[in-house]
Amino acid sequence: MVPEAEARDVLDELQRLRARVPLLSGALAASTDGLVLAHDTPGVEAEGVAALTAAALGVSIRMTDAAGRGGFRELLVRGGSGYIATYAAGSSAVLTLLAEDRINVGRLHLEGRRSGARIGELVDAALARVERPAPARALPPRPTGTPNRALPQRPT
Amino acid sequence: MANTEASLKEAMSSIEGTTGVALVDYTSGMALGTLGGGKDFNLEVAAAGNTDVIRAKLRTMEHLGLKEEIEDILITLNSQYHLIRLLKTRGSNGLFLYLVLDASRANLAMARHQLKKIEAELEV
Repeated sequence: MVPEAEARDVLDELQRLRARVPLLSGALAASTDGLVLAHDTPGVEAEGVAALTAAALGVSIRMTDAAGRGGFRELLVRGGSGYIATYAAGSSAVLTLLAEDRINVGRLHLEGRRSGARIGELVDAALARVERPAPARALPPRPTGTPNRALPQRPT
Repeated sequence: MANTEASLKEAMSSIEGTTGVALVDYTSGMALGTLGGGKDFNLEVAAAGNTDVIRAKLRTMEHLGLKEEIEDILITLNSQYHLIRLLKTRGSNGLFLYLVLDASRANLAMARHQLKKIEAELEV
């Protein structure tokens, strides 16, 4: 799991993003396996959205792969009264944004990509530290030879 | 009648001092086409940002009770002019042409006149 301090940094980033972009009604960072890392989504159940994000991500990765379009970058879904946008955030997290229908989608993309990259740096750096735990911590021994990241990896 | 690409090319080549041009949908903030710009001037960023400019102006006019339409918007910087022209031809509502001019080379009156002509001929 991502340490508490980094989770707070991610939450700060989400809150700054929401303050900066008008008509952005929610933002959440999730691991690629659907667990919430940090969220600022008033009125929406973050756990459910994170889990569905992981499901949509799975399909998206297979789709970009099948169509030969490289690794997953972003996903935009439009409903009758707003948008849901998901951006890749490093190797093991994604950023999902909930926006009102009147949002400036061009701006949503610009801010979402930038923020996704920033959150990706935070999460990847945190995971790199967790990979080399301090000897005092009583963690069960991990099998050697496999990458022992806390979050499962998806092919990118 | 000219398509998007031809119109952007015409703006770029026939309007003196033009360094970048974009056709933008201000309901979404995304560009339908861009030409020029470059590393130090990202037209996608400009498209999204100027969408907010237009939306703010339209909202202000609504609050003021003005039942008018925006023809164009001129923004004057130290060394550049930014010209925004809203499309009024049938079927192209919600779009605008965005023109970046080098102030030292551009003739503003001529640029505005030519952009009006390009707008009239543009068919999206």
